Amino acid sequence: MAALILPAGLLVVALMVAPMLLLARISLNQFSPTEMMVEAMSAENYLRAVQDPYYRSVLLTTMAVALGCTLLCLVLGFPTAYWLARMQSRWKSLATILILFPLLVGNVVRSAGWIALLGNDGAINAALQGLHLTDAPLPLLYNAFAVVVGIVAVVLPYMILTLSAVIEGIPRQAEEAAANLGARPLTAFRRVVLPLAIPGVAAGSVLVFILCMNAYATPVLLGGPQFKMMAPAVYDQFVRGNNWPFGASLAFILLFVTMVLTLVGSALIGRRYRR
Amino acid sequence: MDAALLRRALYRGSIAFAFLLMLAPVLTVVTISFFRQEIVSFPPEALTLRWYVNAWSQQEFARGFITSLEVAALATLIGVPLGTAAALALQRSGIRGKEALNALLLGPLAVPGVVAGTALYMFYLRAEFWLDRDITATLEGLVAAHVLLTIPWSVRLVSASLAGLDRSAEEAAANLGARPLTVFWRVTLPMMRPGIVAAALFSFIQSFENLELTLLLVGPGRTTLPVAMLSYLEFRMDPTLSAVATVQIVLVAALMLLTDRFVKLSRVV
Repeated sequence: MAALILPAGLLVVALMVAPMLLLARISLNQFSPTEMMVEAMSAENYLRAVQDPYYRSVLLTTMAVALGCTLLCLVLGFPTAYWLARMQSRWKSLATILILFPLLVGNVVRSAGWIALLGNDGAINAALQGLHLTDAPLPLLYNAFAVVVGIVAVVLPYMILTLSAVIEGIPRQAEEAAANLGARPLTAFRRVVLPLAIPGVAAGSVLVFILCMNAYATPVLLGGPQFKMMAPAVYDQFVRGNNWPFGASLAFILLFVTMVLTLVGSALIGRRYRR
Repeated sequence: MDAALLRRALYRGSIAFAFLLMLAPVLTVVTISFFRQEIVSFPPEALTLRWYVNAWSQQEFARGFITSLEVAALATLIGVPLGTAAALALQRSGIRGKEALNALLLGPLAVPGVVAGTALYMFYLRAEFWLDRDITATLEGLVAAHVLLTIPWSVRLVSASLAGLDRSAEEAAANLGARPLTVFWRVTLPMMRPGIVAAALFSFIQSFENLELTLLLVGPGRTTLPVAMLSYLEFRMDPTLSAVATVQIVLVAALMLLTDRFVKLSRVV
């Protein structure tokens, strides 16, 4: 019966492990304008990516957006997760479906929605001007603001569902005990609910951070030409630049930075609340 | 008293805001697909259904839709049986290195789409060179890539349903003299059905809406719907695109409601 794992396991090895090893090998090759790619064993692509001010700023932008979006998601998602976890009526299933639904609709469709909402002729500017609150359309689209809004909306469901699964496991009696002992609601939240929800905070933040670091459709569609994040930069190297070795090294830098920041972040969250 | 009022307002306000953020773009897309004017502006001049007709008459969307359906259906048909078999091996056979094998099979969900997508692209180009035949921009190539989505989701969902199964019915059947294969066919498999159905529906949705893994593997004449929508949107946003998006939204919603009848969707993510 153990052999039943073979077909799926071999497919994953053939289609994921082998290609990633190949990509790692390619990242050590050299680019040549005439032959596309020359076999080599050099770290020069990695060095170039780290030293080039443009790619450094792309990486910094990506990290800043990912960090900001993760924090925003945490602040925005916690109340909703708590509300969902403590919900007992038959509406709970409907609320869950409403949270999961946008997640499954796909990033491209949701970005289309944001374009229609945030654009100069979009719903928000039309409403503001219709109410005579502004004279000219506000620049809401094709900038960092639009990307942050778009990404937060994309990843928020993951945060809410992860948090609420953990909050559901916190017994109500713990909160009631705190209240009976005279803790005010905010104190009870800070001293009882939040420390117990830390595994959820860590898991949700890690998941959301990884998704933000690798966001593709949202920055491409909502960020405009000036705004660049890592995932689109990687694809650009393969589609437009044809510099495969450099693109491969960018992909691994993104993977590596994401992993390191994730580990550091969860260690920090863990230590902060261990006592 | 004021503080309590403010706190409650903040609590409810942030819940409402979270739902607004998540649902507003989806609802907007559906709404503008009925606007009559060609350039999206608010409020609508009149309402119409003609963008749906227009969308279907555009080659890239019609073909993309069909390709996405084919790819998702084939990847589901391949991935769900393989994933189910792997889940059985993981949960029931006492196989060694269970944790590592589980991590390997769920791996494609953990590797970012950008990395997996570019790696697969390079791998396909290399394989095309060796085998001397097209792989990128073919149905086979796309299905093979999407199996990387349907296998892990199937392993995950079927494993979860197997872990929750009561084994006494199987033991009873065996005690009454049923042979192992009969036990599996008549007892275990029927009990696994909700998990398998959920795996199939979820796999289909994940494959149908995938962008990152697919982006570099499409080509002229063979594009999936999300990629077609992305390249259209990079130039313009109009009601035709909204109509296409709405069709996708309705399809996903229908499949989701269907899935929810078999498994609690809150347990899926």
